[in-house]
Amino acid sequence: MTRKTPPFQEFNSRLRAARDMRGWSQAVLAERTELPPSSIAHFETGSRKPSFDNLRRLAVALEVTTDYLMGRVDEPTLAKDGDPLFRDVAKLSGHDRDLAKNFLEMLAKQNKEKNGA
Amino acid sequence: MASSLRLRLAKQSAEALIQKLQIPCLPIDPFLIAEKHDIAIQAKPNTAIGVSGMLLRHGEAFGIMYATNISSEGFQRFSVAHELGHYFLEGHIDHVFKDGDVHESQAGFTSGDIHELEADHFAAGLLMPSHLFLDEQAQHEAGLHAIEELSRACRTSLTATAIAYAESTEDAVAVVLSTGPLVDFCCMSELMRSKGNFNWPRKGTPVPRNTATAELNAHADRVATADRETREADAVAWFGGDRSLPCVEEVAGLGSYGRTLTVLSCPTLEDEVDDEEDDASEESMLDHWAHRF
Repeated sequence: MTRKTPPFQEFNSRLRAARDMRGWSQAVLAERTELPPSSIAHFETGSRKPSFDNLRRLAVALEVTTDYLMGRVDEPTLAKDGDPLFRDVAKLSGHDRDLAKNFLEMLAKQNKEKNGA
Repeated sequence: MASSLRLRLAKQSAEALIQKLQIPCLPIDPFLIAEKHDIAIQAKPNTAIGVSGMLLRHGEAFGIMYATNISSEGFQRFSVAHELGHYFLEGHIDHVFKDGDVHESQAGFTSGDIHELEADHFAAGLLMPSHLFLDEQAQHEAGLHAIEELSRACRTSLTATAIAYAESTEDAVAVVLSTGPLVDFCCMSELMRSKGNFNWPRKGTPVPRNTATAELNAHADRVATADRETREADAVAWFGGDRSLPCVEEVAGLGSYGRTLTVLSCPTLEDEVDDEEDDASEESMLDHWAHRF
């Protein structure tokens, strides 16, 4: 199931849930992501928000998708492919929209290859 | 958190990244940094106008598109570095992808949005990290010459370099960007801000009459052909204040960009501060001896 929620409404609880699922302490997750242990603690309490770089490191280490961590899907391994992929490109004007659309298609292909789908 | 602190932290975050990546010298390559972080980069065709850059995501794959309709290498590198700012800075996810998976930017200190300004300061810190920038700066005479040399070393635009220079130099310097009869932007060095007792010209303030800048700006062709001029001036004409302060006004047209860069250097103010410090030091020494005996 996919849905549209604001990013990070559920991030801290999702991160905690994913870490618990792996049975790792915050220190272990910090080591595997090369992030300071204090950052993990701050992310889980919601006192700090991660960068995209942090988010991607966390997702890779925990073997979940960034969409799951952001609360955009409920299954840890599911990406938000079910939604109309390019709907947000509509916000861009003219030529930029076409360029973004083509580039997103390339990224989608790249993502699929990475996931071995 | 105060916005000035947020902007300083954004710059420091970029500088920390340069240190972490152990990049030892200028110029910094934002394309290589993107590649190392598995971020795809694609140039927009040079015929395409529109946004200066876009950060896009699909699942775990990230990409940056950047504009090339402005042929300046410095502008393009800054645009890519700005998008990297959105990628590396904490708290930008809500802002960048609040509605979807595409974020579009207008890099170059033109936005009033705090997230865009943070990305601009990240870009400045990434391309002109203080520890490397200051080493390079120390090798050149103060003023426009230093800015041009730094611009070459960092492969950044004269505009972005001039702002970074004014923010980091210990000399009494002000940098003004103007278009035609109006000031677009002004940045003063710490010494100018703290000791000059000047009024800060805001955006839209008229360029003072009878200055080299006003005369160059009156001729669009001189701006377009990147003409330049150096002249003795008085800081009071530019910034008001309570007394006359001789300075050197160096002016350079920025070509097709349509703007003019003015660098005002006030060595007299530096001398005054040096004298004050000498006097203070002497008084302190006399005081010290008086206490002993």
